[in-house]
Amino acid sequence: MVSELKEDLQNLLNNITISIQNSKSSSDLENIRVNSLGKKGSITLYLRNLRDYDLEIKKEIGAYLNDIKSQINKLIIDKKSVFKKEHLEKKLKSEKIDVSLTPSEAEIGTLHPLSRTIEELCAIFADMGFCIVDGPDIESDYYNFTALNIPEEHPARQEHDTFYLQPDVNGQRKVLRTHTSPVQIRTMEKIDLKSFDEIRYIIPGRTYRSDHDATHSPMFHQCEGLVLGKNINMGHLKGCLIEFCRTYFNEDNLPVRFRPSYFPFTEPSAEVDIGCKKENDGSLVIGEGEDWLEILGSGMVHPRVLQGVGIDPSKYQGFAFGMGLERLTMLKYGIPDLRPFYDSDLRWLKHYGFIPVDNPSLHSGLNGVFS
Amino acid sequence: MKFTWKWLLDHLETDKNLSEILGTLPKIGLEVASIVNLAEDLKSFISVEIIDVKKHPNADKLNVCKVFDGKNTFNVVCGAPNVKLGMKSVFANIGTFIPGLNIKLNKGKIRGEESFGMLCSEKELTLSENHSGIIELEPSSELGLSISDIMDLNDPIIEIEITPNRGDCLGVRGIARDLAAAGMGNLKDLDVIINDGEFGSIINWHVDLDEDEKYLCPKVFGRSFTNLKNDESPLWLKNRLIAVDQRPISSIVDITNYIMIDIGRPLHAYDIDKIKGKILKISKSKKGDKFSALNGNTYELDDNMLVISDEDGVDDLAGIMGGERTGVIENTTKMFLEAAIFDPVSIANTGRKLNLNSDARYRFERGLDYNSPEIVMHYAAAMINKICGGTFSKIVSFKLEQKNKQIKFDPNIIYQLTGVKIENELSKSILEKLGFKIASVENIWDITPPSWRPDIDGVADIVEEIIRINGYDKIPSTKLSRNNYIAKPAMSIKHRQAFFASRILANRGYNEVITFSFLNKAMADQFNGGGFSLNLVNPISSELTDMRPSIIPNLLLAVQKNVNIGAQDLSFFEVGPIFKGDTPNEQISTITGIRYGDKIKKDWQKDAVKFDFYDIKLDVIKVLDTIGVPKNSLKIFQDAPSYFHPGRSAVFKIGQKIIANFGEIHPEIVDFFGFTKSAIGFEIFYENVPLPNRNKISKPMLKISNLQPITREFAFIIDEAIESEKVCQVAKSIDKDLITDVIILDVYKGEKIPQKKKSIAIKVTIQPVQETLTDTALEKLSVNLINAIDKKLSGFLREI
Repeated sequence: MVSELKEDLQNLLNNITISIQNSKSSSDLENIRVNSLGKKGSITLYLRNLRDYDLEIKKEIGAYLNDIKSQINKLIIDKKSVFKKEHLEKKLKSEKIDVSLTPSEAEIGTLHPLSRTIEELCAIFADMGFCIVDGPDIESDYYNFTALNIPEEHPARQEHDTFYLQPDVNGQRKVLRTHTSPVQIRTMEKIDLKSFDEIRYIIPGRTYRSDHDATHSPMFHQCEGLVLGKNINMGHLKGCLIEFCRTYFNEDNLPVRFRPSYFPFTEPSAEVDIGCKKENDGSLVIGEGEDWLEILGSGMVHPRVLQGVGIDPSKYQGFAFGMGLERLTMLKYGIPDLRPFYDSDLRWLKHYGFIPVDNPSLHSGLNGVFS
Repeated sequence: MKFTWKWLLDHLETDKNLSEILGTLPKIGLEVASIVNLAEDLKSFISVEIIDVKKHPNADKLNVCKVFDGKNTFNVVCGAPNVKLGMKSVFANIGTFIPGLNIKLNKGKIRGEESFGMLCSEKELTLSENHSGIIELEPSSELGLSISDIMDLNDPIIEIEITPNRGDCLGVRGIARDLAAAGMGNLKDLDVIINDGEFGSIINWHVDLDEDEKYLCPKVFGRSFTNLKNDESPLWLKNRLIAVDQRPISSIVDITNYIMIDIGRPLHAYDIDKIKGKILKISKSKKGDKFSALNGNTYELDDNMLVISDEDGVDDLAGIMGGERTGVIENTTKMFLEAAIFDPVSIANTGRKLNLNSDARYRFERGLDYNSPEIVMHYAAAMINKICGGTFSKIVSFKLEQKNKQIKFDPNIIYQLTGVKIENELSKSILEKLGFKIASVENIWDITPPSWRPDIDGVADIVEEIIRINGYDKIPSTKLSRNNYIAKPAMSIKHRQAFFASRILANRGYNEVITFSFLNKAMADQFNGGGFSLNLVNPISSELTDMRPSIIPNLLLAVQKNVNIGAQDLSFFEVGPIFKGDTPNEQISTITGIRYGDKIKKDWQKDAVKFDFYDIKLDVIKVLDTIGVPKNSLKIFQDAPSYFHPGRSAVFKIGQKIIANFGEIHPEIVDFFGFTKSAIGFEIFYENVPLPNRNKISKPMLKISNLQPITREFAFIIDEAIESEKVCQVAKSIDKDLITDVIILDVYKGEKIPQKKKSIAIKVTIQPVQETLTDTALEKLSVNLINAIDKKLSGFLREI
């Protein structure tokens, strides 16, 4: 008896299983569920008919029926999730877009390579304890020349190609500063000797000379440096500038050569060369080869310059240096020509400019490569 | 300063080779600019004899020649007027590089006649500028030899840069002396034979200067020469002059030029027959004096220029250039030779005023060897006698006694100033080799610099001499220590503001440019500048005459350049100075920007949108936010400078100080630049931003509410003249604690809105602080808001 009933039930289950498998949609499934497990469903009816049997049979078949019931439930749920998944896949497929398209957007801008160089210099010298200061572009003759030990008739003046402004009522004419060195004088004048111990300044800025050709621009940029203290000697000049050159060019073993030279406002004076290789096409490889390339001028501040600003050269001494920033920029970033620096050609700016999120610093690196 | 290797060896006895010398020169401060060996360039040029000359059948001015090099015969077409049968000249075969023409010779047909090379002029060999004919060699010249051997050109030419303090190295001897001091050999004695002369000088000096002005000419020497033969100079002399870019002229002139290069001592030679009278007078010029110089120009002199005159007037600008009238020419037989010391300052001033440069001026300005006039009288006499023959007179001279300069020197200063330790004996030996005299008194040295080093005038100069010869490479490299310092920011607040502003602007699409600080007068005027004090006396071009009063014109120019080459949409900014006057306080740092064209480009997704006033306003606000401008302190006004569109521009101020001008550029200016679209710009005067309180670094405590913010929207009708932003201000003022934000959703004029009115829709964000707001409380807030708009702006809710 029991086994017959079980067989019947098994057949019923098989039929339901097949119809679940063959169902085409969630609503088919719902019909199957109602027809089997609903109030008038086949399984429900079967359960209801169990009343007429013995307790033993009731018990056994009841358990069997419950098992079948949960099997059907599970089958329906599983099948339902299959439908759901298929439905989603179909929907997503219909939502497909053309990923090859790109909308236009206002592009991010660039920073000028000269600004970049100034920031790199500031980062390097800041690490050595320097502060940035600046001074006016329009200077008096005194600050630009006389105070720097370049009197009126000095031959060095002729090399400066000075721009003059119209004379004032006293016949005095101001000049556009020919170098950043006058700011040395302005900063030293402000020193309060009572509390003075040491200063370290760098002075990047615009400079002007009346010269315009392939390698000269009437306006260009220099960075001046000044260190003054009680025990600053030429060894510090060397140490500081070697560290600068190697850091700036990112070459640990960059050869740096100091060569005697002459500047009216320093004594002794030195020009600084770095080692390089001149390629046949005219380009340069920094740090390799047998050639030397001059990149900056320097020297111990001339005693007469110190006296001129009221500093006793027997108590204080220091060094100063100056460099052309366009040249440094061109060397480091392989820019072949000076003139486009001021031409504002968007193509040049985009090519040689730097992205604004790359802040040059010693901890993140100075070599701007991501533009 | 150019000289040749063999010339150097006239003064320097050395076993070092050229490359060792070249390696040493820069180390002692004599930078090598170039090294050229003519012999290398000219080795393929050979001597030939012209054995046949025939007229070219198809060209009047050409000849067809046969030349013979001792072995082979070549056909050459030649156009030189001086070509003749039997002449010996210089031949370049096919394949030879001709330096004067910068070409390589190919076999060619010239008007139908084949040519297998070229007969050359001096210019083609870069020997001189002479191109009047082909080179004529001595008839005795051997055939088939390299021209560098025949013409004795095998002598490398060295050019070095001489710094303004080293006048002594403007002569080969000075360079030899420095090399000797640096251990590169020994300085030979100068070959001077003292000869007092046979007769009294025909010409005499008269120094016509007041006692207190005699320093202008502290020394002048001269002597007369007679029975001279002023021919062409010997080949060796010509070659040396050519090598150092001096054009050979005649023996006497060549010798004076040679001695100038040789020992750095300029000389001047007068033709005695052309001097009026027996006296040459040294005096100061009077304004209006005229002077015809040897360079062919006539100069009108000013007062107080040092001149030399005879009875006919000025004919020599002392130390700068001789006069045409009394100059030596080919048939000169009697000559008076001058060697003087003139005040360098006076020479420099005169030269600069007249804009007259010369090799002599260059040397006088840098200071000459005070003892050189005496020596050169004998040195030159011997050379002139040897080359031009004749006899010479006794020396006539004027001189002031000069006190020797003495410098007290404590050798410890060398270490103190440079950090390098040098034995006293070595220091002394270096100085002595350079010609310094040292008398030691205990530990202090009394140093007398040599007469040829007028630049030495202090202790630091002497230190430099010692360490220069000892070698800069021996100076130790010492790191700057931090001593008592803690790390401090290198940038000032101003620098930081520029740094941040640049980054914000670039992120918003601006490209940074750097433009010249000067522009043309018309633009300076247009932008309210152009004052006299900011006008350049000597501009480099008429486009760059005035210091800029604003960066906007520079940026408009930048836009124009790019538009002209096809660019469409441009955003540029510059951080830089503008000038309101010529004092430091009138130089103002600004951040200036321009936008031109489309903000949004048309594409498959969206339509194009042009930049307008509001984009620039936003740029300015973002920059000001970033550089620390307190938002509430900014007030907006509509009185921007005249170069802005009067209706579409504004000014942000804090108190009376202008923080930024911005808006559309005036249409007249936009037209002036030829733009088809409007340009929108700003200028931020960040120096006017009040500095934040330095002591207050920490921020107020953050209060965050967990309660949901509520938003309410309103639309009001107000007078169209009322600035829309006023609605927000009034709304915010209702309850500053609860109302955190008010934004304008819509501004509408037109249908359903009364004339001269506009509708403003706003969204108000209300953030409950302590507890959720009840409907009643919210209703109350709304009513307050509506009442406030009514009261303050006569506005009312729009019926929908």
